[in-house]
Amino acid sequence: MSEARITRILMISPDSSVTSDQLVRKVHTIDDGLSVKETCYGCLIESDEKTMSKVMAVVRETYHNEVFSKVRGFPMGDPRRCRAQHGTRPGYSQLEAEWECLPLIQSALDDIDAGNTEYTVPEEKKPLSVRQMKEISEAFR
Amino acid sequence: MKIFIDPPNSMILFDLVERFGHEPLSTMAVIQEKVDNIEVDMPPMNVTLDDVVKGLKYAGVEVPSGVRGRMALWGPMIEAADAAIIIDEPPFSFGCVGCDRSNELAKYLLKRRKIPCLTVKYPSNEEEAKTMVGQIKDFLGGLGE
Repeated sequence: MSEARITRILMISPDSSVTSDQLVRKVHTIDDGLSVKETCYGCLIESDEKTMSKVMAVVRETYHNEVFSKVRGFPMGDPRRCRAQHGTRPGYSQLEAEWECLPLIQSALDDIDAGNTEYTVPEEKKPLSVRQMKEISEAFR
Repeated sequence: MKIFIDPPNSMILFDLVERFGHEPLSTMAVIQEKVDNIEVDMPPMNVTLDDVVKGLKYAGVEVPSGVRGRMALWGPMIEAADAAIIIDEPPFSFGCVGCDRSNELAKYLLKRRKIPCLTVKYPSNEEEAKTMVGQIKDFLGGLGE
């Protein structure tokens, strides 16, 4: 990954009471030398690696499981992706689909933080044996 | 440790892997490399000659170009990974997950490398979410530093 620039997406879980505006104001106060852009789902941040790790540490500490984040390949406001310049947005349907899942992930993380680490392991699906398949087929003959 | 995530642009997996103290390997990092250094306009849709050659390492010339293009990005990440987390049966109509053959090939390459792999599912209720997050936490915790 390039060392010069790191762009990250911060996305607020739909269950959170934090607003994009609050998040942007908070991020702005963490350090200088970073650009922040408010979006409908949270914000975009761009800075060097050192500042970014500081910002992410503070964001995780302040908002715990309410704000999720991932790296973004394109720079902020890039004309190839920016809506203002009719850029294409191929990754956004994935983001939207995962955004709907975030309240579930948030509550699971909250549960784990509260010490409830037990969960039920789903049963592994096994392929039907030839004998069973034969029995089923013969039953419907 | 370096963890390959599948779907490779998944925010949930990227965030969880980072939260639990490991380095996620994602498509975004590879795309950034191309955007910043060689100024490719629309990666992964636009590829360079090098990408085509890289893709041929993982899939034959008769395989559709989309599979080779994807493998040019994912293949080196799979080779660099120490472990992998796969979300099974993702809705494949969105993002760069749009090719089921590439997904199958990526899973095959992961199995062939014999690195630790965890398969989970997108949750549809709180119980499933707890299972997913719990499994990921335990899996990553068991990997060590």
